[in-house]
This record gives sequence, C-alpha cells and structure tokens, in this order.
Amino acid sequence: MEKKILIDMKQIVKRYHENEPNELEILHGIDLQVREGEFVAIVGESGSGKSTLMNMIGALDRPTEGSYFLDGEDMGKIPDTKLSEIRNQKIGFVFQNFCLIPRTSAVRNVEVPMMYAGVPRKERRKRAMELLEMVGMTERATHKPNELSGGQNQRVAIARAMVNNPSIILADEPTGALDSQTGHLVMDIFHKLHKEQHKTIVLITHSRELAKETERIITIQDGNIISDSDMGGEV
Amino acid sequence: MNLSESLRLAMESIKANKLRAILTMLGIIIGISSVITITTIGNSLQQTISNTMSDLGGTYLISGYLEAVYPEDDEDWDSWEYPEIDEDDMISYKDLMEYKEKFSKQVKHVIAQRDLYNGTVTGEENTVNVSVVGTTSGLIESMKLDMVAGRDISDRDNEEEKATAVVSDLFVKYAFNGENPLGKQIDVSLSDGSVIKVNIVGIYKYDAKKFNNLGSNQSEKDITTYLLIPVMYAENIDNGQDMNGFSFINIIAKDGENPTEVAKDAQEYFNSTTYKDNEDFQFKCQDLASELGIINTVLNVITIAISVIAAISLVVGGVGVMNIMLVSVVERTREIGIRKALGAKNHSIQTQFLTESVVICLIGGLIGIIIGILNGFVLAKVAAVLVSSFATDIGSMLTVTVRPSVTAIVVSVVFSMLIGIIFGSYPAKRAAGMSPIDALRYE
Repeated sequence: MEKKILIDMKQIVKRYHENEPNELEILHGIDLQVREGEFVAIVGESGSGKSTLMNMIGALDRPTEGSYFLDGEDMGKIPDTKLSEIRNQKIGFVFQNFCLIPRTSAVRNVEVPMMYAGVPRKERRKRAMELLEMVGMTERATHKPNELSGGQNQRVAIARAMVNNPSIILADEPTGALDSQTGHLVMDIFHKLHKEQHKTIVLITHSRELAKETERIITIQDGNIISDSDMGGEV
Repeated sequence: MNLSESLRLAMESIKANKLRAILTMLGIIIGISSVITITTIGNSLQQTISNTMSDLGGTYLISGYLEAVYPEDDEDWDSWEYPEIDEDDMISYKDLMEYKEKFSKQVKHVIAQRDLYNGTVTGEENTVNVSVVGTTSGLIESMKLDMVAGRDISDRDNEEEKATAVVSDLFVKYAFNGENPLGKQIDVSLSDGSVIKVNIVGIYKYDAKKFNNLGSNQSEKDITTYLLIPVMYAENIDNGQDMNGFSFINIIAKDGENPTEVAKDAQEYFNSTTYKDNEDFQFKCQDLASELGIINTVLNVITIAISVIAAISLVVGGVGVMNIMLVSVVERTREIGIRKALGAKNHSIQTQFLTESVVICLIGGLIGIIIGILNGFVLAKVAAVLVSSFATDIGSMLTVTVRPSVTAIVVSVVFSMLIGIIFGSYPAKRAAGMSPIDALRYE
C-alpha cells in the first residue's frame, strides 16, 4: 500500500522584498513530496536556499507562489494562528543551536510545546520525563541549558521536538554544533526514532556524509532541486 | 495558555532578573508608597479629630447659643451696634424643660451650666480645692465621665432647688480620706466669702484628660475638681450677680438620631417660642457632626490634591516599566522566536509579556502599600508626639488613631495594575508581532 504523502509542495517560489528594487528570489519553483515514515536529507551549500525551504516546510514562513499541503492541510490558505497550531502539533523542530529557552530547566523546556497545546500540567511533567528518559536525560532533567553540554542540549531539544507526537521531525543541521562523536550519538537517536517509531524525519544539512545515513537525499542548489535519490539521482 | 501559566512564566522571568525587576519596581514603589503615606496621614488625622471630638462629648453633641440679629442691608451696618443681652434674652430653665419634654424622643439631655466660684472644703486632714458648677442633669454623661457611687444631679434636684452635690473621687480621697461621703453634708467656702452647705449624693471618677489637666505637675491633692450642684440652686446662691437663664446650652441627641436634624428642630423650636418676638437675638444650634463634616471635607480635598501630585511619580514609574519591558523584549528576541516556532500564538506571547509587566507593577504596588502604611504610622505617631510636646493643652486631649485608607489601598492596587497594562501593552505587542524566523535568527 502506498504510504500517505505528508509534504506535498508544488512550484514553490519564495521572493523577499517583492516589488522593491532589492527584490530577491530564493526558491525558484520547488516540487517536493515526502511520504509518511521517510527519512529524508535535504543537502545544499550555504546560500542554496535550504534554510528557506525548511522554513516553508516548518510553517514558519509562507511561500510567495505555489501550493503546499502538509498532511492534507492547505498551508497557503490558513491564518497565522492556525499556522502556530500546525507548528505545535505537526512539526517537531530540532535546530543547530538547540534553541532551548535559557534559564529554564530541561524538563520545563520539553514541556513548552505541551503548554501551548493546552496539556494539563501534571500530564505534561509525566510526558516530558518519559521523553527525557528516551533520550537518556532523566538525571539532568532539572539542569538548565547552560549547565549541559552541547550533545545533552541537543538530546533535550529532540525530546522537546517529540513531545506533541508530531507528524514530521524537522532537523536543521542537528549535529552542526557538536563534535563528531556526540554528533553520531544524536544521529543514532534519529535512526532509532525512524526505525522504532517510524517517524518521518527531514534532515537539513550541508554534509554529504551525514546525508548518506538517510534513505533519500535531495540536493538543492541556487534555489532549485538538482537531484533526488528517490528519482534515481538527477532531476 | 491560561492565566496561571502566564503568571508562572512572569514569575520565572522576574526571578531570573531580580535586581532589574526591583529597580523597575522602584518607581512604582515610590509612587504608591507616597500616595498611601499621604492618605494614611489624612485618614488618621480625620480619625484623630473625630475620636477626640467623640471623647470630648461625642458627635451627638449639639451646642445652642444666642446670636444677635444682624442687619440685612449693608447700609444699616454703620449704625448697628451689638445689642445688649438682658434677662429676657436668656433661655430659662423652664424653657429648657419644655423643650426636653416636647422632643423627648430625640433628645437625651439638655445641659445648661452656671460656673460659680472656686471654693475650698476643709476635711479632717486636708483642705481641698473645688470649682463649684451649677448644672442640669446629664453633665456627667455628656462629658463621658463615670460615676463611682451615688447618682448624678437630677431634674428633681433642680425643680426643688435642692442643695445636693456630686463630687470627684479625688475630692473624696483627700477631703474624706477615702471614706464613703454619700449623704454627708459639707461646707463649701466660696471665694466670695460665703459658705454653702450641700449634701453629697454622687461621686464621679476624675479623668485628667477630660479636664485638660494632663500636662500639669500639680500634686494630686491640689487639683481643683468640679463640685456639681443643681443649676437652679446655683441661681439662688449667685446673689443676683448674674442674670438668671442661659445664653449657651448643650443638647445631647439620643443614639441613632441624626444630630443635624435635632439641631435644626431645636433651633426652630426656640425661635418659634422663646425668641419669637425677640428683635435683638435669635437662637442658633450647631451640631458637632456637621462641623466635623466640614473639617473632613477640607482634609479630604487636601489629601486628594497631594495624592494626585504624588501619583504623577507613578507615571514616571510606568515609563520606567515600559523602558525595561522594551529592553527585555529585544533581549529575549530569540526566546520569542523559539516559543513561536514551538507553537506559541501571537496572543500567548503578548499575554506573557503583558502579565510580566502587570506582575512587576503589582508587586511594586504591594510593596509600596506596605511601605506607605508603615510611613503613615511612623509619621502620624511623630506628629502626635510633636503636638503633645509643643501644645500640652491640646495634646493632652488628642486620641491619636492611625488608620490607613482602604479606598486608597484598593485604588493603588488597581492603579498599579493599570500602569502595568498601559505601559506593558506596547512592548508586549512588539514581542507578539515578531516574525518567528527573524526572531530565531537573532543572535
């Protein structure tokens, strides 16, 4: 049986400063489909437009042109508040620089998405502790980000990304700020999530090494997808 | 995200930046504490005046007195002279009793007094000073003195012009060496050389405060206390040196009656009876309660005026809050971005920052209220001490009460919250309006 299409992008164009002298087109018409349970890497040099693409996928930004359906929802038409809900419910972000809230304990950080989802406090704490256990951070639950190492912070961030049980985990250079050993540890968690929980994971990276660990590599250059391993290499 | 959540976030953020939060609160603290200090002093002053008045006779006291009929036209003033009082212009004891009977439902006592001479009474060991005062019934009660034994001068004493007397416990202590003097006759040598013989029927407890005698360093034995006799008897022994009748009376309204109404009725009654055809004088009644009302109004106006000036500092404090909140929004740009990426809606962010600013102002307000009340207490006490040391005669009568104004406290709480909302809403809006991408990229 064909797996459900989660990300369905057609002819996505993103322009900044539209109708101004410094108008800038970053994405020139991207077509992208990601199915449920896939582990995809989007690879590109810096400046290739992969971050912009990630923002589109993550509902942080809207495309200028083209259509984007996320899990059946037309992202072009929904209001901003609904976009917040989609980020909250369907997407789990993992950022290069962890993006944990400073001066707030690990467990409170993991709770944040649940707080915005309106989960009762008791349940939140329970679920947060479960996820911290999954990433092996139970003992550091009360530590604040500045008291943790980079790898530990990233594990907390992954726990946070998982907390609302999202459809997609969107990881932007998750190992970029880590040494190769801890980087591997973090990647192991992604593999585990993919294999054991069949999570859809979109990994954005500039590293071909890292990308090779995934099932499918999409290469982006100058705002266009130039190759997709699923389609047999060149597009 | 509900309110308790917002409060929790606000408290976390304030705790993370304690020093800054306290400095921000300072403006609010100073503003609110000055307002509370001023209103506490104003309120205490009112209470002190009212308590003192009530100790000295109470708000049920109405004074009635003669007032000359003034010319109506300005031109007549030149030729007008203050009329001479003769016996026809005075209120007689009979008039008073008729009034009292007619208004017995509203009136507890009608008191008229005639101060006679000072005198001395020689006991077994000491010679004791007294001030002989003729009075109607009720003087003891109206002065809020306590009876120790026996009874007050009665209406019957007056009607029958009996030679009865009510003396102080101090008098008993020195003239009778503390033995029971009730029913005993004493000789009072008056300063005009005459001697009167009176029977003691009652003893009241001497209260230095009521007799305005606190500051004096007289020895207890030498203190002159009132020796009360029936006013009608006093008229007889006054040897015609003074006119009979009274130009000044006190009326005590019954509990629960409106003294202002009673005063009005009394004035109308006397002017339509005793003074009906009197061209020179009319009767005037004034109740303590409405005089107190005037004083309170003046005090209120002053208190409010100063409070408003103090409240200006609150606006300055509010601007300080806004300033810090704006800095805080910029500082926490990344946090805002993260929260938005994780699903925070604009209004959640707005609520978070607004709550923080309101909480800062509210905490500042509460601290300000506490400091203000303490200030008020200290200042009111200091004022009382100063008054009693400079003006011993007035000071001894003061009953100092410190009472913070509840209205001012409630208004302050509401006002500090309002400042939080007003000065916090712009920074909160700025925070809410940030684009998540820009905020996330912010370093």
